[in-house]
Amino acid sequence: MGFTGVAFDFLLAVLGVAAPFILIASRAESARRVASTLILTAGLAGCLVAVSGLLRQPAPFLDLSWVTPFPFSLAVDRLTAFFLLLISAVTVPVTIFAVPYFDLHYSEPRRNWTWTFYSLFLLSMIVVVTASTGFAFLAGWELMTLVSAGLILIEGDSPERRHNVFIYLLMMHAGAAAVAACFFLFLPYSHGLDFETIRTASATIPGPIRTAVFLSAFVGFGTKAGLIPLHLWLPRAHPIAPSPVSALMSGVMLKTAVYGFVRFAFDFLGGGPSWYGYIVLLAGAVSGLLGVLYAIAEHDLKRLLAYHSVENIGIIYLGLGTSLVFLAHQAPIWAALALIAALLHTFNHALFKSLLFLGAGAISSATHTVDLEELGGLQRRMPVTGTTFLIACCSIVGLPLFNGFVSEWLTFRSFLAGSSLIGTKAQIILPLMVGILALIGGLAAACFVKVFGVAFLGRPRSVEAEHAVEVPLLMRGGMTVLAAACLLIGILPGLLLRPLVSLAQVLIPGAGVPEETLSIARIIPWIAAIVLGTSSVAALLKRRERMAVTWACGLPELSSRMQYTSTVFSKPIRFVFARAYRPDRTIETLPADQPYFPLSISYRSVRTTSYERALYRPFVEWVVSLAHRLRRLQTGNIQIYLLYIFLALVSLLTFLRFQN
Amino acid sequence: MKITVDILQVLILILGAPLVSGIIARMKARLQRRQGASVWRPYAELAKLFRKEDLVPPTASAVFRLAPMLLFGATVCVAAFVPVMHASALLASSGDFFLLVYLLALGRFFLSLGALDGGSAFGGMGASREALVSSLAEAPFLLGLVAVAILASRADLAGIVAWTLQQSIFNISAVHILAFTSLAMVSLAETGRMPVDNPTTHLELTMIHEGMVLEYSGPSLALIEWASAIKLHAMLALLIGLFGPWGMASGDTVWGFAVALLLYCAKAGILMVLLSVIEGAVAKMRMYLVPEFLGVASAVSALAVIFTMLAKR
Repeated sequence: MGFTGVAFDFLLAVLGVAAPFILIASRAESARRVASTLILTAGLAGCLVAVSGLLRQPAPFLDLSWVTPFPFSLAVDRLTAFFLLLISAVTVPVTIFAVPYFDLHYSEPRRNWTWTFYSLFLLSMIVVVTASTGFAFLAGWELMTLVSAGLILIEGDSPERRHNVFIYLLMMHAGAAAVAACFFLFLPYSHGLDFETIRTASATIPGPIRTAVFLSAFVGFGTKAGLIPLHLWLPRAHPIAPSPVSALMSGVMLKTAVYGFVRFAFDFLGGGPSWYGYIVLLAGAVSGLLGVLYAIAEHDLKRLLAYHSVENIGIIYLGLGTSLVFLAHQAPIWAALALIAALLHTFNHALFKSLLFLGAGAISSATHTVDLEELGGLQRRMPVTGTTFLIACCSIVGLPLFNGFVSEWLTFRSFLAGSSLIGTKAQIILPLMVGILALIGGLAAACFVKVFGVAFLGRPRSVEAEHAVEVPLLMRGGMTVLAAACLLIGILPGLLLRPLVSLAQVLIPGAGVPEETLSIARIIPWIAAIVLGTSSVAALLKRRERMAVTWACGLPELSSRMQYTSTVFSKPIRFVFARAYRPDRTIETLPADQPYFPLSISYRSVRTTSYERALYRPFVEWVVSLAHRLRRLQTGNIQIYLLYIFLALVSLLTFLRFQN
Repeated sequence: MKITVDILQVLILILGAPLVSGIIARMKARLQRRQGASVWRPYAELAKLFRKEDLVPPTASAVFRLAPMLLFGATVCVAAFVPVMHASALLASSGDFFLLVYLLALGRFFLSLGALDGGSAFGGMGASREALVSSLAEAPFLLGLVAVAILASRADLAGIVAWTLQQSIFNISAVHILAFTSLAMVSLAETGRMPVDNPTTHLELTMIHEGMVLEYSGPSLALIEWASAIKLHAMLALLIGLFGPWGMASGDTVWGFAVALLLYCAKAGILMVLLSVIEGAVAKMRMYLVPEFLGVASAVSALAVIFTMLAKR
């Protein structure tokens, strides 16, 4: 029990016991201050444990099996340490941001509940990634779902919100069932569910069971990660949570699903036949493309960002799928490169997506709306929010000098390496994926030009935007920390790549150090120097500057209504990709008997996507009709129920008799 | 010696860029039976703009002011990746062509933002159209480069050029033809030439690039114009390096480099003639035909990648 062990216990004690207890015991302002400071220190302690775990210090280990009815223990290995670092590194700035944010947005009693749930939410995510037994994992997984649902309901309880939370809970539990199945499928072959036993047992389990484990891990974690078509809950649940919570949900909670998938597919199963990889690649490509296309069509900033989470999860899964394909073809070095790409993108996405959601929170604090059509001109009014948001936009688009580029570059590079698998399908499929990822990147760039350009540049489109003022110091501080982290990894990627290489070597036995991770870390600082140096020289060429009114085609003045709106900006792309949207449009002309002289025309367009039509609706109808048929069993007659119980008992006894 | 030539290459690409634009404009004029301005006119234009003051719209923020500088910085950096006189470049590294494409995207991203910062309808119009064109151009651009890289079994531009130099000029594969076709089509879209965009238009119905830069003036406009000229020149040099590098210096002699430079000028001249003939002969496409144009480019580049399987067994 070294120093890191103490830090780890402190972290769990604060988030699980101290902070919630203080918040429930006292409604005072000071109690909230103490609790939020404690959560912040817990985040810092988490960073400490994670960094030392990545540098191969003795791993903290906590066994709580003596209090719980099932084996419950937490441990930090390399993979865990990486995800613990991700959670803690995002927690610290988000918590700093949340202090003034919760004060501004919630009344007195709600604030305490928000902080309590916030603390438990962090605890649940840390339990999920540090769990070293199946039960601990499932307990954390369930707590994570319930607490996040609670955080969404704190914001309000309109029928629409309740409906969205219902869908969220429903899909999460369907996913959780698949995750539980992954663990229980191991049971006949291993004597327990602690990870060490599972790992040793996995060598002995037969092929069909391996496939079953893989597929249920793919579906179970895919639901949590928001892979299309399992993403239905994501654009409903993420935007309606409080902004710091949205930041944690998109930035961190989705990553626990990536963690789970990596744990199963790589650590426990150690890869498999190449079609495992192709399934993951396909899911990644579909999620990436459709995610970004749906995002472009949105003008609600938070919904747009939620769809971009779907897109980025797609990019992460592209990397994971590539890695599985290389594993199947015995090319460990390239498998390691693709896995590093996916894990680095996971980390990068955590940073820039939480920054974007915090930016959306800052916008809503300042203007009381996140509708892009009501914004504009915020860069001049909120320079810090604007600049940090711009850094996040550049990062998510994957522009060089920002962190998103490094991971996308590594993904591109591992696609190209697919051409070395001569004589296999991968030789063609992987290089063609370059085109998919490039298209995703190009569309994401278009989308974020729209987001930043419409929200922060030009003229304000509403009175609220016109009178917006910069948000409080702590909110700016939280965003600045995240933006600095994005830039740091973008220019000096070697900082994270080195620990990631050793992590990949643990997960993929026999992998050396991929040369590419070194070469990108070498060249990026040079590029930064050239781009920034040339730009500064160019800045010297500028002499005087004079304000001149924008040309208005001879009109007296431009108005904000003459600017391009978010909807118009994306129209060309929506027009070209119209097949991906297929909205249900209704045009109503009143009165109906005078089509040429209408008094009013109403137009409504609801985007019902094709898989909602083809996949979910038939399924829901089937479930409802099944429920109707099952209702016949429920007569309300107690004698009948006793008969059921008797029949069940008899059949169970017969079953046991014949089994022995 | 090597590093001197590498730096010289970058300088040729940057300082020669306005000349390339000037020559193309002159050729186009001659094809249209006009006298045309001197080939040195773009230099005079840049000098004039650099002497002027910057006019800034009242809505503009720091993004408007920073955009031209970042665009210029990123484009200069692109020039450092392209081999001109020998099979080497200042910034050569594994997978560098992904960097090249994304550096171009970096410049474009900021230019589009600068366009929106003016607060007029034209900036938005230009940025929105540019978003469509560039988002669809990225995939064929990268796929075309990937096809050539697979063929050469090298992941850096300089390595690909070196491999191509060793091949016989008569031994060109189908992959080369397909990749060249798609990259040439993409170059037209990337650099905003006919039939995708008309670089000389000022009609709001048709303009893309011109719509974005409408609010810029003085040194900022000069930087943007110079950056687009460098981009055009770098694309020409890239096409020459990938598909016709024969004649590049292999040794270390001054003579070798002089011959390589002369040959480069000749090859660039041929491409410029081709470009001006295309620009003189075809009309600008309708906006919504551009996705089909780039769709054809994407299909061709995907075919190029698929055909590498036949070339390498």
